[in-house]
Amino acid sequence: MYVKISYIFIVLFIIIINYWLGILIQQTDSGQRKKAFFYLSLLVNLSVLIFFKYWNFLILNLFEFFGWFHLNNAVSVPLLDIALPIGLSYYIFQTIGYITDIKRGTIEAETNFYRFTLFTIYFPKLLVGPIERANHFLPQLKKKISFDKENITEGAKRIAWGLFKKLVVADRIDIYHHAVIVSSANQSGSTILLASVLYTFQVYADFSGYTDIALGSARMFGFDLMENFKRPLLAKTISDFWRRWHISLSSWVNDYIYNPIVLKERDLGKWGVFYALLVSFIVIGIWHGAAWNYVLFGLLQALAIIYEVATKKTRKRISKKINPVIYNSASILLTFLFVTFSLIIFESDTFSKAINIITGIFLNHGPVFYDKPSTLLFMITGCAIMFLIDIDREFKLFRFSLFSNKSWIVQQIGYALLLIYILLAGVFDGGQFIYFSF
Amino acid sequence: MEVNLFTFPFDTIRQQKRMRLLTKIIEKGLARLLGKACIFIFILFILDFSIGSLLRYLYFKQSSGLLYRTTYSLDSTTAQFLIFGSSTANHHYDPSIFEDRMNMSVYNTGRDANTIFYNYAVFQSILKRYTPKIAILDFNVGELKVFPQDYDRISSLLPYYNSHPELHPIIQLKNRFEKYKLLSKIYPFNSLVFTILIGATDFNKSRDYINDKNGFVPLTRVWKSKIRTYSTEKNYKLDSTKIKLLQSFIQQCKSADIHLYICISPIFKKFTSKDVSADIVQKIALKYEVPLYNFSNDTMFWNHPEYFADIIHLNSVGAKVYSDQVVDKIIEQEKSDLMKTIKKPIN
Repeated sequence: MYVKISYIFIVLFIIIINYWLGILIQQTDSGQRKKAFFYLSLLVNLSVLIFFKYWNFLILNLFEFFGWFHLNNAVSVPLLDIALPIGLSYYIFQTIGYITDIKRGTIEAETNFYRFTLFTIYFPKLLVGPIERANHFLPQLKKKISFDKENITEGAKRIAWGLFKKLVVADRIDIYHHAVIVSSANQSGSTILLASVLYTFQVYADFSGYTDIALGSARMFGFDLMENFKRPLLAKTISDFWRRWHISLSSWVNDYIYNPIVLKERDLGKWGVFYALLVSFIVIGIWHGAAWNYVLFGLLQALAIIYEVATKKTRKRISKKINPVIYNSASILLTFLFVTFSLIIFESDTFSKAINIITGIFLNHGPVFYDKPSTLLFMITGCAIMFLIDIDREFKLFRFSLFSNKSWIVQQIGYALLLIYILLAGVFDGGQFIYFSF
Repeated sequence: MEVNLFTFPFDTIRQQKRMRLLTKIIEKGLARLLGKACIFIFILFILDFSIGSLLRYLYFKQSSGLLYRTTYSLDSTTAQFLIFGSSTANHHYDPSIFEDRMNMSVYNTGRDANTIFYNYAVFQSILKRYTPKIAILDFNVGELKVFPQDYDRISSLLPYYNSHPELHPIIQLKNRFEKYKLLSKIYPFNSLVFTILIGATDFNKSRDYINDKNGFVPLTRVWKSKIRTYSTEKNYKLDSTKIKLLQSFIQQCKSADIHLYICISPIFKKFTSKDVSADIVQKIALKYEVPLYNFSNDTMFWNHPEYFADIIHLNSVGAKVYSDQVVDKIIEQEKSDLMKTIKKPIN
């Protein structure tokens, strides 16, 4: 574990600046001064974010660009060797949203410093979000919190699901996926394809699992954090996917980047929408990390949604001619495959690595490799449980539900069995391994 | 108002406070919640106990496979010649060759991805039952490096925690909270449920990679690529616990008069310089006068990629060749030791 106490001052600095500027923006009547305070806050927030997260990426690319003109020889690259403060992207985006809302007049500035601090760095959401909105979370902090057994039990149930997703699904797949991807040159196409498909489940289980733990913990303390995932693997289109995946980020980008651009460029019509989509998804991409693969990932999402916007009428016409069950199933499958494909780019730190993985899927013939049947059984069982529960919640297919059963005792047995399965199949340490034949 | 602390009714106030708290708890439904939590914990306990007991029964009912081999090594083997180590031990030393040429019963206790922790633990259990005559400790390049996963893999010994107190010191190296985690009956069988369920069936015996010959599992794949040179990882952190256990293993062999041979198996890769771990083992072997045979840079094996299943493991053909070479060395050493004993003047 890496601990740097001095990083506390970064958080404190962000909190003090935004608290102070928020009040100033509200108190000022002059529109110009409001704007100045707003841009000052934006400048501070983005500078901190860029310095810690994007400095090396920017400098390296700038030097490479100058290198094309032989202008970089005299100076050495001033790279930083610093760790990224935990949760930085989350609370910076949150405070930017807060300041923007005050400037827009949709919320009032928080005058209680302790409350504002809690809003910024409330511990369950600090590490992996969700990126909370001031109008959703601040009013909750003002309410008197009293003990509620419903909050305790519902929060605990949510944490149990989070643990299941993280330990049983995500960490289990990670062992296989990592072993395949680091040796993809020696793996068959079917093995790489399986690992790539499983990676989509892994990322979903990992991120939504952590979010469940965060939401569950907050609920136990009497707070409702915003939902971040809404069964994204059952999305029928990419735009639908982004309405269900990392909702707090996509809705943030929608409110503070996409809508303002569309409004500003409304004269351009559809082209303004396309432009807004490109900018928004590049921001979403690069929010994940300072590397070109994330930019490309965002770009791919934007292009897919642009395609969807451009072909909306045609697709609607086709859908009317096909059985809805078949059409919807095919849409879910296609969306899933596109997400899987774009996640190959997301996880590859170089473009050539992504190309090698994709070509490997099509060119390396051979059977699926797994070291022992239990490796596959664990992964498939975990994914199946998670997926079936999502399907049940989405389509209400099953009459009997163990976890939301009316009988209290059946529910308890359901959750006890869930914990037992975590004990049986969860990955608790690095002791699990896979031997491959290379 | 003046308050006399000696006559102040603390007890009454405490009682009143307690009563108020109790009323508050009842009002808020906390008592009901606690009651429900107790029922939930009870259900959890019953499930953990029954499923854990069933898994334990099935685990020890197995008669083939990886898990069974560990049980056999700990509880049943009485072989005069034992082989200890990780996957390289398990796939490289063919007991049938040792048995034929040395007229001794041989068992291979090697287990994939395990290190001196596992070998030491198995050795402790065996020593409790009997004393073998000869032992080989197979050692890997880089084995003494600090590698947290090596500690995690001690989990292969968890099913034996209750029945083998001699394993406790090793198991506790995994994590200081391990003994508390082991209060759960299921925890020792984490990640093993499917292996145990399949292992308890006859189908398990039909799987070729499960079948062993006195613990030895031959690999059938044939490596086809050319040998490559890898840069040696230098100045890595050495694990003092592993070094201590290695020394203790050697000392115990010495005091029990077990002829110990340390072998570093052939690998199909070259290194730019000598490995730090191999160097340390060589020094320890020299200190305790234990024969050490280093085949990791044996050019004979480097010229035969067809002896390998992958860059770390020999296949069945390579294992035969290697086992023969190891037996040659041991026979030579045993003869030389015998000659030394005969030549010693009788006082």
